[in-house]
Amino acid sequence: MNFDWSVVWRNADVLVEGTELTILLAVTTMVIAIPGGILLALMRLSGVRALSSTSACFVELFRNLPLILVIYTAYYVLPVATGLSFSPITTAIVALSLNVSAYNGETFRAGIASIRQGQSEAAYALGMTRWQTTREIVLPQAVRRVLPVLASTWVSLFKDTSLVSVISVGELAYTSMRIRAQTYRVLEMLTAMAAIYWLLGYPQAKLVDWINRRYAVNE
Amino acid sequence: MSAITATEENATPRKGSGAPPVLLYRDVRKHFGAFIAVSGVSMEVRKGEVVCLIGPSGSGKSTLLRCTNGLELIDGGEIALDGELLPRNWEGMRRVRQRMGMVFQNFELFPHKTALGNVSIGPMTVLRLSRAEAEQRAKAMLDKVGLADKIASYPAQLSGGQQQRVAIARALAMEPEVMLFDEPTSALDPETIGEVLNVMKRLAEEGMTMIVVTHEMTFARHVGDWVVVMDRGAIIEQGPPEQIFDSPTVERTRDFLSHLGWSG
Repeated sequence: MNFDWSVVWRNADVLVEGTELTILLAVTTMVIAIPGGILLALMRLSGVRALSSTSACFVELFRNLPLILVIYTAYYVLPVATGLSFSPITTAIVALSLNVSAYNGETFRAGIASIRQGQSEAAYALGMTRWQTTREIVLPQAVRRVLPVLASTWVSLFKDTSLVSVISVGELAYTSMRIRAQTYRVLEMLTAMAAIYWLLGYPQAKLVDWINRRYAVNE
Repeated sequence: MSAITATEENATPRKGSGAPPVLLYRDVRKHFGAFIAVSGVSMEVRKGEVVCLIGPSGSGKSTLLRCTNGLELIDGGEIALDGELLPRNWEGMRRVRQRMGMVFQNFELFPHKTALGNVSIGPMTVLRLSRAEAEQRAKAMLDKVGLADKIASYPAQLSGGQQQRVAIARALAMEPEVMLFDEPTSALDPETIGEVLNVMKRLAEEGMTMIVVTHEMTFARHVGDWVVVMDRGAIIEQGPPEQIFDSPTVERTRDFLSHLGWSG
């Protein structure tokens, strides 16, 4: 079997563009899904029935649907539902954010629930409001505690961005597959794609380990 | 009311008598489901007085303390602070809480903040002081409890006694009228209990009004101005420490004290 690795170098510029878009998708999704997850968790724990059941429905819906189905649905439903036209990239970010927010919501809920009641009571005893207590005392501790889980969600998200290639978003997977289709260099392109994902993913995983050590809460 | 009789019987008048009490409890009741934690407690706390709540565990001492600053809302009776009835709602109690400091058995310092951060957070968020003002106040309070050199330490880097002293500084930084201590030395190693009790003693000498739930009978005997003995949610006896420790009139008080090995 003959390999022609030059196909990778000849298409380096589009692969770089695809990689950039992959990073952009993952970062933007996380930037939306972290506050989204916190909001879902606070709604769930608010004690206000309408808020907590809305949050629960959202989480259980998007956590239990295949991501690819959410992506397709967003692609076909979003323009009809809103009457606006969305770029494939925007659609992709919406779909990914719905999915990851749902996961983050559960993560933050577990994190907040793990902070013992005495911490809130100490804050209340100073005269803090519920919101001040959440913002200053509970959330900072909860976020540190769930960092490992958020990190593994991030690593999954980074790879799952490849699923939005089904709606022709020109990220790394879509770009690689297109070059493959044009050149018939299947193994070369799959290898190049694997190498790029791995080389980007591995340092992130290491970085995450470092963050965990750096910001660990000692009690 | 036994409080009044006891004062009248005693040769030296009770501290702060004549002035209206800082805290007045009248028939206070609190239950958790079917469990009655506090059943009809009436007592008062005068200005500058150290009132020690003693009694077997589960007797309702801590619950009564937590009702005082509204961490538990009472089910019946009333509590008045400076002659004003405490509100029965969360937001009203939140305002009242700013005027009472509380120290917990397990310290409950905020682990993600330094000693300075722990002490300055209340003045910053609740009193809306600037960071500089709040930190200046926090430094003064940490100095007061003898921890000026630990301002940058995190709770995990401090001993139990040091943590509890930071917790006292945190409460004092709000400049409270009353300090509530919920078994402040029960979670401490024996060798660090003394440093916390010393800080509390100094505070008492400065005239701070304090309610102390404690098992430290020596502290209650020598620092307390008034001792309240509780059992099964009710006050069984109260009076000046000499009376309670040297000639308790109630059988159950005698049992409780002898159980602790108190010889009078």
